[in-house]
Amino acid sequence: MRALIIAFVVATPLVAILSLRDGFFVFIIGIALIHMLWASGLNLLYGFTGLIPLTYAGIAGVSAYTTIHLVMAKGLSFWWALPIGSAVAAVLGLLLSLPAIRLRGFYFALSGMVIQSAITIAFVYFPAYTNGDTGIASVPRPTGFDGRGIASPYMELVLAAFVAATVAGVWLTMRTRFGHTLIAIREDEDLARAMGINVTLNRTAAFIISSFIAGIGGGLYAHYIGFASPRAYDVLISLNIWLMVAMGGRGTLIGPLLGALLLAPLPYLLVQYTWIKDVIYGVAILLVTMFLPQGIYGYVLKRGAKS
Amino acid sequence: MSDEHILVLLSVLTSGLLVGTIFSVVAAGLSLIHGTILLPQAANGQVFLGAGLLFWLFGTEFDWPLWVSVPATFLIIAMIAFATEATILKRFYPLEDRNISYLIITLGIAQILSGVYTGTIGKISDTFQVTTPFPGFAMIEPVPIPNTRLVAFVLAAAVLGGLMAFLRLHRIGRALRAVFQNREAARLRGIDTLKIYRFAFLLGTMITTAGGILFALAFALDLTVGWTMSLITFSIMIVGGPGSVVGALCVGLVFGFTQAIVSVFADPTVSTFAYLLAMLAMLFIRPSGLFAK
Repeated sequence: MRALIIAFVVATPLVAILSLRDGFFVFIIGIALIHMLWASGLNLLYGFTGLIPLTYAGIAGVSAYTTIHLVMAKGLSFWWALPIGSAVAAVLGLLLSLPAIRLRGFYFALSGMVIQSAITIAFVYFPAYTNGDTGIASVPRPTGFDGRGIASPYMELVLAAFVAATVAGVWLTMRTRFGHTLIAIREDEDLARAMGINVTLNRTAAFIISSFIAGIGGGLYAHYIGFASPRAYDVLISLNIWLMVAMGGRGTLIGPLLGALLLAPLPYLLVQYTWIKDVIYGVAILLVTMFLPQGIYGYVLKRGAKS
Repeated sequence: MSDEHILVLLSVLTSGLLVGTIFSVVAAGLSLIHGTILLPQAANGQVFLGAGLLFWLFGTEFDWPLWVSVPATFLIIAMIAFATEATILKRFYPLEDRNISYLIITLGIAQILSGVYTGTIGKISDTFQVTTPFPGFAMIEPVPIPNTRLVAFVLAAAVLGGLMAFLRLHRIGRALRAVFQNREAARLRGIDTLKIYRFAFLLGTMITTAGGILFALAFALDLTVGWTMSLITFSIMIVGGPGSVVGALCVGLVFGFTQAIVSVFADPTVSTFAYLLAMLAMLFIRPSGLFAK
């Protein structure tokens, strides 16, 4: 079962990209890949420290608008703009980790919801960089070596490489002392503190890395779909990326990828009926929270461990 | 000050009073639920919007008389609330840190409701203006006030007054207050906390429903009001202190006046910024709120 899920997560995007090469379904795979990247980044925070960052989409949005501004207004290459945008996201992540020093559980999530809402309002009401609710259209594709936008299916392969790099990064993190420290904090914060672990420092580091990944995803997303609007980075998006991690299996490597692959294509498949997506996501949130708190992959792992 | 200034000032005051009272009503419902059950009802804005939309649907679209449309709205929402409590919310009562699960769950419910509104009633229209059952104006010198708004204000104030009296005087109301002051002690004194939880959820939801109907009576609705109302009422609850109806009333009025004053000079959304900042500051300084016990 476990091998099956891994094969599904790895093979589906690759087979689809390489066999179809272009068109709507490849585009959807690209979307799913970006969400896989996001979900892995959020997993680093939620899966390993237990904090629910409802600011995640806002952080991605700040990076997206920064990248767009640098590319479209300043004429910078996308490949320079993306790291800058992501660095801005990381700094923002550092700031947004401050509430975690004082607030726990629900109050932290609530502060995230508040800050996320403030960020969304800022996107709408400071249109100099964002063009307000109308959004920014015809954002150029990232450029290739020939200086032109990368076409499908090469763009999707680039995205897949980003996902692979992120997952490898998370995997390495899990094996380092830092990863173990984070898990120790998640399991019992007071005990970790008593053992001399600097809880704040480690958590802040996780926040920065996770925000950096959010930023990479944000920049890629805007330039991939060619459009950016405040609604693409609002609190529901944060919640839905959280859902991908939770449904797939938090704290696992494959879980978030599975969640993203299953959920991210929905809004694009249901373009005419986006409201159905809201209902499906909402129901999924209820079901996961009530019946499957460890997520699909987490459940499979647990079953495997028992037998 | 010229007459014109006085007119503006008075209309700001009256609309601030009305908006503030409705804010207070909705926030009181939220605060009651959170104070008692530790359930931060993030879907409360959607319940509020749903009440307004149903009231519009029954009263204006179907043209039912008030004495049918209002009870019908309450009945439908009460049934949904009852079913939600029995199937979903009840499962989490034994958990110590249930408020985080509840926040996520109610955000999920909010997403479902918001999707349902867009997919159903959102197809009929973008804005929903209830045809007033109370036409005409009352002259409160020198400002003319639409009768509907006057009625909405009086009813909202009545709901708040009734709630406060209920919590102080009635046996069940006092049991509710006992639960939010000290869960364990309340249980030891023989209060059936689970029943109180269910009752608090239903009562809070009904108050939110009343707020939605009154808002729909006084102002036009659109589908974004739900999220905005959630944010505003969460701010009011956090600043005023969860469980405190007096806190909800005072902070609600302050927020209402702020909104009315800001909207003279700028987009009302700016005031939402101010609420969010107030809530954030309060979370850091005193998470139990200004009016906590």
